[in-house]
Amino acid sequence: MQNQANILVIDDELIMREGCTRVLVKEGWSVITAEDGQKGLEQISNRTQPFDVILLDLMMPGMSGMEVMENIRSLDPDLLVIVITGYATVESAVEAMKKGAYDFISKPFAPDQLRIVVRRALERRTLQKEAVFLRQEREKSLRDVATEQSRIRTIIHCMGDGVLVCDREGTVVLVNPATGRMLHLPEASLVGTPLSQAPIPPELLRAVEESSKTTETGYTSISQELSLGPSGEISLRAHTAPVINDAGEIMGAVTVLQDISHLKELDKMKTEFIGMVAHELRAPLAAVEQQLSVILNRMAGEVTEKQEQLLSRAKERTKGLLDLIRDLLDLSKMEAGKMVQYKEPLSLEEVIQGVVDLMRPEAEAKKIDLQFYLPTHLPPVIADRNSMEGVFTNLISNGIRYTPEGGKVWITLNEEGGCVKAAVSDTGLGIKKEDFSRIFDRFYRVKTAETRQIVGTGLGLSIVKSIVDAHWGSITVQSEVGKGTTFSVLLPKEATPAICQKEKP
Amino acid sequence: MPKKILLIDDDPDLLNAVRIILERRGYEVVAAFGGIEGLEKTKTEKPDLIVLDVMMPDKDGYTVCKELKANPELGKIPVLLMTAVVSNIPTTRFTQQMGLETEADDYIDKPVEPAELVKRIEILLSK
Repeated sequence: MQNQANILVIDDELIMREGCTRVLVKEGWSVITAEDGQKGLEQISNRTQPFDVILLDLMMPGMSGMEVMENIRSLDPDLLVIVITGYATVESAVEAMKKGAYDFISKPFAPDQLRIVVRRALERRTLQKEAVFLRQEREKSLRDVATEQSRIRTIIHCMGDGVLVCDREGTVVLVNPATGRMLHLPEASLVGTPLSQAPIPPELLRAVEESSKTTETGYTSISQELSLGPSGEISLRAHTAPVINDAGEIMGAVTVLQDISHLKELDKMKTEFIGMVAHELRAPLAAVEQQLSVILNRMAGEVTEKQEQLLSRAKERTKGLLDLIRDLLDLSKMEAGKMVQYKEPLSLEEVIQGVVDLMRPEAEAKKIDLQFYLPTHLPPVIADRNSMEGVFTNLISNGIRYTPEGGKVWITLNEEGGCVKAAVSDTGLGIKKEDFSRIFDRFYRVKTAETRQIVGTGLGLSIVKSIVDAHWGSITVQSEVGKGTTFSVLLPKEATPAICQKEKP
Repeated sequence: MPKKILLIDDDPDLLNAVRIILERRGYEVVAAFGGIEGLEKTKTEKPDLIVLDVMMPDKDGYTVCKELKANPELGKIPVLLMTAVVSNIPTTRFTQQMGLETEADDYIDKPVEPAELVKRIEILLSK
């Protein structure tokens, strides 16, 4: 806003022009004069910075004040005009006001009167300018909102990930081109149609319906992998979550789709690579061990006691290496999410019985009493058979290895809340309390005089824990040095899939 | 007359060790150092039993086994698959898969315990 007010005085009388100028300039305002209407209008239209107030004499020769007034209004309706009326002709003042003049002053007037009228007009002018400023600001922020919206639209439009938004009724309200590309649908055909009528994978539809439902337990968000294409060569990861308004009501569901086909491809290559490396490492070791076992079985001539001792140890060590490779392979599969792939209703007693039968020769060789106490009735759990076999082979084999000859290893099974609890106990060496927290760490092995001769990879329990975690289960250990150890595994029952963990991983 | 066993494995050291185990038990052992050679020798040697390695560069054991079993005459020869790939953990899974995917008569993990190998072979030969 201009600090100095600009005032135009249009009057045919020189004395009036000079008088007004004198009074107004004293107030610090800038004054320009014009001796007739024509010149006044020229001044107005030539200015870049509009006048703040115009003093206009109504009685002028040539163009009348009223006519000038009309012209000013058509040039800029916001201009403030104070008309000067000759000798108290109130009628013409009223008429000028009707035509849009802001105020009037009657001749003759005192300097104070002029100052007051002009000052009032200037105040009005200030307000007017502020109003304009505010209106412009408001328009600008509206423009910003519009820009922001179009910016978000552009971002969603350009995103590599698919976005699909449905309202509570399951009607598609927003979809971006990536979604169309991934689902092989023209995106435009989706908007406004019920999702149930669109040719999309049924799992996705189910996820959207589930997420749009209110439940007592709060809202559901679902992450899943979808396979598309004639032979499932396209893999999508779909994350569906409810859209919730300020009142906490579910308004619909948003799904974000990610094409993970080449991640899958890479993963497959990695698995194949690891498989190849594992074989390359195992094959020579297997050959070494095979030759050692031929010698140890005295198939290549007699062996002295000392030689047998050394070769037996060598064979133990190669076996240890073979186990390590196997465990590393299992671990890498686990990390790739490959180990726990086929979750199904599973009878734990059947799995454990199988493992116990398999381990019995090992136990008998060490004169260890291996017992499996079957419960009367037990509900199935939701688990992957393969990895459950791994868990119990590991735990039972540990029990046998870390229990001295003549000891006992036993397994119990029972229900505990929404979970099934399997406990593997032994009368072995036991674990010190300070080692409890670390025994599930990778490559951690408790080293004592007693354990030194026991070959192990230090990966077994960490694999067991990974498997149990992947089943939303938990594993705990209780032990007393010299007395024995119990590992307890909790797994969710089939009927009431619960989370058998204190905290989510 | 001793029973003839065809031993198919691309690893010469392992093959040699297994050969010693079998020869000590009085079997006649014929060796083949790959899948293709193994198939050839099955035809020419007419063994009583085949011990077949799984991972071989030219033709793997599964394929060899499938081709053998597709042949009405050679398919009668019992096949013992021998592998270092499968660990002891998914034994049952492996058994299930073997039943479905290959028609091998039995399998054994590499390296083999001599007594275990001999036991399995005796069972297969007595069938």
